[in-house]
Amino acid sequence: MATHTEITESLMVFKDKYNKNERLKVMNKDWDRVVVIKATDIESLHTLTVWKGVVSLNEGTTEKPDLTVISDSETLADIFYGDITPTEPYNDGTLKILGQEDDIIRLDFISLMIWGE
Amino acid sequence: MKQVVSVSLGSSRRDHKVQVELLGDRFEISRLGTDGDFQRALELLQQLDGKVDAIGLGGIDVYIYVRQKRYAFQDGLKLMNAVRITPVVDGSGLKNTLEREVVRSLSEKTGLLNKGMKVLMVSSLDRFGMAEAFYDMGCDMTYGDLIFTMGMPYPVKTVAELEEIAGRVLPELVKMPFQMLYPTGKKQESQDEAKVQQFASYYYEADVIAGDFHLIRRYMPGGMNGQTILTNTTTREDVEFLREKGAGVLVTTTPEFEGRSFGANVIEAAMVAIMAKPLEQISPEDYLELLGRLNFQPHILNLKSSSV
Repeated sequence: MATHTEITESLMVFKDKYNKNERLKVMNKDWDRVVVIKATDIESLHTLTVWKGVVSLNEGTTEKPDLTVISDSETLADIFYGDITPTEPYNDGTLKILGQEDDIIRLDFISLMIWGE
Repeated sequence: MKQVVSVSLGSSRRDHKVQVELLGDRFEISRLGTDGDFQRALELLQQLDGKVDAIGLGGIDVYIYVRQKRYAFQDGLKLMNAVRITPVVDGSGLKNTLEREVVRSLSEKTGLLNKGMKVLMVSSLDRFGMAEAFYDMGCDMTYGDLIFTMGMPYPVKTVAELEEIAGRVLPELVKMPFQMLYPTGKKQESQDEAKVQQFASYYYEADVIAGDFHLIRRYMPGGMNGQTILTNTTTREDVEFLREKGAGVLVTTTPEFEGRSFGANVIEAAMVAIMAKPLEQISPEDYLELLGRLNFQPHILNLKSSSV
């Protein structure tokens, strides 16, 4: 089990990696989305906001997210640290993502562009 | 008579059956769509296994070739593995050879393709051979995979960047459910109006639009200005669709039988039935040699005058 602090740190790593990637910022310049990240086994909520291609991070949730990423704390920390890809936990049901199919694929793509080989 | 059947995740509205003669052998070639029903496709494949000479898998890619690397879609492999006796192919082997040759042939023998022309490939990772051939002949490329599959206004302009992105994302994306990446079943009969509007400029600015017909169709705006469309798997209805949208010329890479340009999977299956040797022993050179004997030529249709 990961702690809330570990999830926060993993999301900060993800945010920083993303924001240092100029190509990703161009790719997502008109993809304004609010993504809530929720752990199932501990009290932990975060909000990632993509606005004009730039990602920001806040603790807590928001009312109407475009995407909600739900999993156990360990899986969330692993995904955002880049230790595992989201594909397998998504396919085996460990990771649930609520939202439009296009947005789910986009989030997966962003993660792979950051952490992929 | 040799029997070749294509089982497709696409719409059953496109089902058809024809009889043709290839190198002296009679063939019955049929296509069975399952409207996106994966389980139905699995059952059909199991029923046909051992009863026909070759099977093509349509509406889904199994293998994607990016230079020397091969990526396999998990859903495609599940379908392929359901067949144990009959040779089964997805068209990727043929696409990688035939479509390179078609680009070369159009460049050398017609005025339809010239260096510097603007070419939009709505998707290119599923036909890397064609993508590379256009680039090598000096076309101004827009590889639209990210635009149309991901909705990102990001045209990839070089084969090198395409290959680099593929290396990062394909090893994982091929594990995703295929229908999340490609329109199957009824989706093939409709257009994605939001993307049609958002990305129309990529179509208007191109001289040539190439690639998978279902994707070309799904995002094509009205008011095209005579562009050349290079694709396959078109029906008479599709020809009318292109004419209404304002396309100028339709070039199909696979031969046309009874008004239908068949999918690469069907033609590859027929070629495998002709070669009658184990799939793992068939090389790109074998396909090229047989293509030469079959004398398959691109089919060119002027959509303005309806003349061939």
